[in-house]
Amino acid sequence: MDWEAQLKLQAFLDGELPEAEAREMADKLAREPESAALAAELRQTGALLAGFEEGIRLPESREFFWSKIEREIARPEKAAPAPPATLWMARLRRFLVPATAMALLAIAGFVATRQSGSPFLLGGAETETALADPGAFTYHDYASGTTLVWLSYPADNELADDEEAVTVE
Amino acid sequence: MTEKDHSSDDERTLVRAAQQDDMAAFEELVARHRDRVYARAYSMMRNEEEALDLSQEAWVKGWQRLRQFQGEAGFGTWMTRIVINLCLDELRRQKRHRSESIEAMDEDSGGVERQMPVVTVNPTSGLERAELRQRIDRALGQLSHEHRTVLVLHEFEEMEYKEIAKTVGCSIGTVMSRLFYARRKLAALLADLKRQDLK
Repeated sequence: MDWEAQLKLQAFLDGELPEAEAREMADKLAREPESAALAAELRQTGALLAGFEEGIRLPESREFFWSKIEREIARPEKAAPAPPATLWMARLRRFLVPATAMALLAIAGFVATRQSGSPFLLGGAETETALADPGAFTYHDYASGTTLVWLSYPADNELADDEEAVTVE
Repeated sequence: MTEKDHSSDDERTLVRAAQQDDMAAFEELVARHRDRVYARAYSMMRNEEEALDLSQEAWVKGWQRLRQFQGEAGFGTWMTRIVINLCLDELRRQKRHRSESIEAMDEDSGGVERQMPVVTVNPTSGLERAELRQRIDRALGQLSHEHRTVLVLHEFEEMEYKEIAKTVGCSIGTVMSRLFYARRKLAALLADLKRQDLK
């Protein structure tokens, strides 16, 4: 019996064959012992499964199971979590932004040192990095009396896109 | 304020009351159908804890979508469809975490079930119903979840091939081959268990 014929026999037993084909299959079953044996096996499997689920009981008391459902129903709907890609990018940006800023300042400092021979002096201006907070940079311009404090990370919201800058005159 | 006793209400009355936010009516519906919903989840997941969690989730979803229930099918059937969909979602999620590939299962080309000898199991000879249930339970556990799902949807949920294909998201041909494989493997597993039992 080929594969297609086996599936057709199954479809016959499941009542899925059109009437004409079902009649043909019934004749075949009467003629061929091999087909009849397979049909008996498939029917038997169905008979074994009948009523199987009726013996399965929920392993918790009515009151306890309901209390959990009731609690879930009463719970306000959870806010949708941020997509993982966004979180991943935010974390990467949090690392890259201060690292890039540090690198740029280091290059600027190196260039200024080479030109003037004096460390961290850029034409009357001075840039500092607070050791206690490596993400904060201070820029003093003595000529104009301006101090710029640059925070290279989002202050309150880690997903904030823009860096914050505070100017103190 | 005392809650109304719904224990003698018929299902339609309970559903209508629950649709009007009557939690006591919904609790009575849960009590009446909880075993059936849990049993369907257990048949699909083969894990008591997961079946409990998913059946609980199904009831919460049932409450949230209760106004969508129009009564074309029975309430119990409506609820089992919800839990089946949750189980399928969970099985897909678990599958993504495994390297298992459905294409490797040798099912669409026929595979081992073509060569299986036809077996005969006599469920009434020498086996108590409870013992037989345990053996069927173990045999079901040895099927892959793809094969078991199709078998459960056909045998317990009484879905037609077309409906199973739509629910699972595969072709009718795949449903037929999975079902055939599941039945033949189950027969072989039970025949083997029977032989062991007789030794």
